[in-house]
Amino acid sequence: MTQGGDFISAVQASKTYTTRSGLVHAVQGANFSAKEGQFISLLGPSGCGKSTLLMMLAGLESASSGKLVLAGEPVLGPRRDTGVIFQDATLLPWKSVLDNVLFPVDILKLARSEYLDRARELLERVGLGGFEDKRPHELSGGMRQRVAICRALVHDPKVLLMDEPFSALDAITRDQMNVVLSELLERYRKTVIFVTHSIREAVYLSDRVLVMGGRPSSMLLDLEIPFPRPRPFEIEESQEFVGYCRTLRLTIEQGHSHSDSSRAKAPVAKVST
Amino acid sequence: MSTTIEKSQSIETETTGPKKSGFLQTLASSSATVILPLLLASAVLLMWEYGVQLAGVPEVILPSPSSIFKVMIAKHEILLRHSQPTILESAGGFALASILGISLAILLSYSRIAREALYPNLVFFQLIPKIALAPLFIIWFGIGSESRLAFAVFISFFPIVISTIAGFASVDTNMVRLCRSLTATEWQIFTSVKFPAALPYIFSGMKVAMTMAIIGVIIGEFITAQQGLGYLIVFATARADTVVGMAAIATLCAGGLLLYGLVAAAEAVANRYYGVPRG
Repeated sequence: MTQGGDFISAVQASKTYTTRSGLVHAVQGANFSAKEGQFISLLGPSGCGKSTLLMMLAGLESASSGKLVLAGEPVLGPRRDTGVIFQDATLLPWKSVLDNVLFPVDILKLARSEYLDRARELLERVGLGGFEDKRPHELSGGMRQRVAICRALVHDPKVLLMDEPFSALDAITRDQMNVVLSELLERYRKTVIFVTHSIREAVYLSDRVLVMGGRPSSMLLDLEIPFPRPRPFEIEESQEFVGYCRTLRLTIEQGHSHSDSSRAKAPVAKVST
Repeated sequence: MSTTIEKSQSIETETTGPKKSGFLQTLASSSATVILPLLLASAVLLMWEYGVQLAGVPEVILPSPSSIFKVMIAKHEILLRHSQPTILESAGGFALASILGISLAILLSYSRIAREALYPNLVFFQLIPKIALAPLFIIWFGIGSESRLAFAVFISFFPIVISTIAGFASVDTNMVRLCRSLTATEWQIFTSVKFPAALPYIFSGMKVAMTMAIIGVIIGEFITAQQGLGYLIVFATARADTVVGMAAIATLCAGGLLLYGLVAAAEAVANRYYGVPRG
């Protein structure tokens, strides 16, 4: 892999579903690329296809047409070197926190003993040291999602694919999770594709924010967020931060009004600032 | 570690920390669940005992609990001898039904063709009053224990199939997606996610199946057997020996309780490893 080259790329990637009422274009001709180590957010209203695009990158959905490339290879199915995080923590309720974190190690048939220290270290770093033997039902929603993040990182994947991972959490926990994730990625550098419908979250976390929207859905904007890292949470109050949020919100609204004119009743976008 | 994280952790531990609900309180509530039903049962037995005596009901119509108990002690050898085939055949029928039922449920969960072809027929099959078919099993399998075993399997496997299928359907689809994203094989998904998640459902089906298997064996014994508690009940009541008949029924209850208890114990063991404690 050449440094600075495209690590992840989508070229005219499309996904079409056949339903009873006809063809549904979930993603149409999506183009984007990411360099190794970049944090990219896919931002957009519900139903803009951002999650579908992410699942295509995870190899869980096949592309109807176009091409997806990850680490120099076309994505044809799930890969061992990706870690996926869903909206729900999806922990196994009968396993302890530590065993849940080690779940990928078991599935990938790696040696448990070699990853034990790493699993403990990850839990320590997200503030869950001492919780190794708890079961998921003993944890709060935020803690469970932290376990899910540790699980996604335990086998040291190159890419982290996150599908609205914090959208089920309350606003305060969500802010905390953003800091946790940001600090974690300072330590374990990964290429991250992060799907969200929170503008603030996208700006705080990302190197680049891609706005998806319109009908049929397309890439409306590719905005670079040049804040240096590590980023203190206080940058959210800075003028530039507010400015980026404003640009993004306007883009989303325009994308929507555009679709409103072409389609009479578009659903109201759920975008929180 | 930054202070933000530490702060958030302490906030969260407060809300989800260990519950210190009073030991006495749990003791009181658990004793209520044990003591109250026992009190009620004792009251009913007492009323039975003295009601029969006071009203002068003849023993052939309704013997008192104490006389049934006396007969159970006096004839325990006969009762135990007849319990043996009944219990063994019930347990055997249940075991076969579990293996067949779970296997069929796995087949139906994984093969679409099998599901579409078989499932509606299975449901239709369930509508047949199965007890009516018992005499046919004698024709097909003879008067030996084979016919009773087959009949016990026949009437007890269905609840296992249905609940196991429900168990597989209850599996969190995101959990399966997570496994797939990790390149898990179908077998890995089955053993690490689907089967453990279905276990509570499988056990609830097995508990129903256990009682059904006993019913199947008893019916078989009513029809043909030369031994077993069902045979003893028919034999005794035919000679108007109600006390012995009731003693056999009481023994059957005890045996049924034992078998059910074994399934419940297995469930408790499984729950320790795969259970989702309600918290």
